[in-house]
Amino acid sequence: MKRIARLALALGTAMLMTSVGHAEQKTFKIWWFEEPTTAQGIVWTKALEEFKAKHPDITVSFEQKTFQQLQASGGMILNSDQAPDVLEYNKGNATAGLVASQGLLTNLDDYVKKEGWDKILNEGDLVLSRYDEKGIYGSGPVWGVSVFGEYVSCFYNIDMFEKAGLKPPTTLEEWVADMEAFKQKGLTPLALGAIDTSGQHLLASLAYTKADDAWVQNYQGLKAPLDGAPYLYAAQTLLDWVKKGYINKDSTGMKDPDAALLFTSGKAPMYVSGTWNLGTFASTIKDFKWGQFVIPTPKYSVGSTGNLWVVPKGSKNPDLAAEWISLTLSPKYQAELGNAGGVPIAADLSVITNPIGKNAAAVFKQISDKSGLGFYPDWPVPGYYDVLNQKDTGLFQGSLTAEQFVEQIKQVYDDTQENQ
Amino acid sequence: MAISSQRSSDGSRSYSLYLIPGTIGFILIVLIPQLANLGLSFTAWKGVGTPRPVGLQNYHRLLTDDQFWGSMYHTLLFIVSMTVIPVCIGLVLAALLFDYVRDQFGEWVSSFFRAGFYLPQILPVTVAGVLWGWILNPVGVINITLKAIGLDNLAQNWIGDATFALAAVSLVIVWIQVGYCLVVFMAGLSRIDPSLYEAAELDGANWWSRFVTITIPLLAPEIFVVVLTTLIAALKVFAPIFVITAGGPDNATLVPSYLTYYHFFTTQRVGYAAAIAVVQTTLTIALAVIFLRFQSQQESKE
Repeated sequence: MKRIARLALALGTAMLMTSVGHAEQKTFKIWWFEEPTTAQGIVWTKALEEFKAKHPDITVSFEQKTFQQLQASGGMILNSDQAPDVLEYNKGNATAGLVASQGLLTNLDDYVKKEGWDKILNEGDLVLSRYDEKGIYGSGPVWGVSVFGEYVSCFYNIDMFEKAGLKPPTTLEEWVADMEAFKQKGLTPLALGAIDTSGQHLLASLAYTKADDAWVQNYQGLKAPLDGAPYLYAAQTLLDWVKKGYINKDSTGMKDPDAALLFTSGKAPMYVSGTWNLGTFASTIKDFKWGQFVIPTPKYSVGSTGNLWVVPKGSKNPDLAAEWISLTLSPKYQAELGNAGGVPIAADLSVITNPIGKNAAAVFKQISDKSGLGFYPDWPVPGYYDVLNQKDTGLFQGSLTAEQFVEQIKQVYDDTQENQ
Repeated sequence: MAISSQRSSDGSRSYSLYLIPGTIGFILIVLIPQLANLGLSFTAWKGVGTPRPVGLQNYHRLLTDDQFWGSMYHTLLFIVSMTVIPVCIGLVLAALLFDYVRDQFGEWVSSFFRAGFYLPQILPVTVAGVLWGWILNPVGVINITLKAIGLDNLAQNWIGDATFALAAVSLVIVWIQVGYCLVVFMAGLSRIDPSLYEAAELDGANWWSRFVTITIPLLAPEIFVVVLTTLIAALKVFAPIFVITAGGPDNATLVPSYLTYYHFFTTQRVGYAAAIAVVQTTLTIALAVIFLRFQSQQESKE
């Protein structure tokens, strides 16, 4: 009995000591919303292990969030004492810009120099890190740092193209000719989720074929009422493509995953969407060779630097947060990102062995180097994502003419521009 | 007399203790958020920072907002699919299962159908919504089936075409709601004296006559409850719209709850979203009060 009592006492003391030890240990909280199977999810999980090993004296607490969670209640979380020390946050005026302008983030200007991020990232890479006092991107302090990129392109079925004797297009005319050739063979060339992002991304891509620097800067920066000319061209072109059968009118009943399935199952030769599909396509498409071509525009592509690592104002460990950001921006994890099929922002291309990641990183660099990131069409106006989706479907199903479409999206844009 | 009054006062005091948890819950979960929401409806607020008072501006904007009025119109249509149709179908099905199927095929078959009709109520709405999204999309099960049996002309863009979207979502809602109505009505039927039916049958009343003269009048209390609860559900319908159509195509299935969500979380017009919610809540309470008064009047007449 005595022995048992002693053992119990020893165990109890040990447990008490352990819990006291834990209570004294510093806790570093980190959140991100990338799915575990995405390139970012895979690589950041590895980096987190290294980070933990480097700091055995710190309890690193990671929480997997969803994009929707932070999109819907991120502001409230950052405004509370429940915010982590560092988290992934969506970039743009309505998200990172808003919380930065409300004083909920830590100004990272000092860390940019101290950690040497200015030597890794060029000013173009930092455009969506900077927000002014109104929360508009492009100028002001650095409030967050992106460590990856993304862009919208056209995924295409290489086998179907080769069988039809076609090449990936380099001009809009060639693209139309390719679509016509598939149409002649009885195929609907372009799979599209018109009620989802791919609808508005195709629309914006076509608008960018008519957009110059001033238009993009005015549009994204809410600097003037909307000049609807590029959108009118895009809307008319889309209507024309629906009429000619290049896009199915029924796309208005399809979400992105439905349209992606048409492409991955080999039923549609082309699908316009972003680099976030790379990992999934690499793992699911086994029956044919596939590739991407950049939508032929004079300069701008729909895309951006990726989501930002931001440090909440109330973070107790901003130095550790900066160290974490530096780790994910380091050559080792940038290369890992490319090798996982992702789009690193600052990787040495020669060390990336995965052809998908290598190509994506090269294309992103090419777009970024010519300052050709036109960003996403829904960014300038909060809630514009839904407006564009709703009006896209009106356009596709024929309840709106191209002129009415532009008039209606202009009304919402101008209202926000006037009242900002 | 004095003693009885004393007793009754003691009794109500001791009973009132049981009301305390519910009252606290109501104040914390319903009343305070509602008052906060009412307060917010008179402000402009982005969800963070300090709300800016704007008086009645949000309500003024509501009056001229086509999206809002469109969503209110859709609510009227959803009252048909969430209340009128499920109550009618539920009544007929309940009477059939109770009065015919049970007698002809036994209790087990009747229970099997009752459970089957109730199943959509158990399924989370989001799961049901995603499933129906797959079924109704242009390359979904319905169109594939129609094409496979040679009825290509009937295949439609169910949720992507404004002509069909509202009807398609309504179909899903009817499917969800019928089970609830059916189960309540069947429970109500079990308390009706079977001798009434037997007597009517002996008098030569057919099934329809029995249904109209016995079932419906005697089920009035249950019908009132079901109509009231489904009516409230129709006024605040959100989940099926959110999952299946997100209010589209081109706002063809937009409802006030979705509009509130949209402005609250995406346009950052929290004050405006609060104003929509206030109008919606007021309408719901007003309808519920009118309905309950009507019910109590009917009861007092009886």
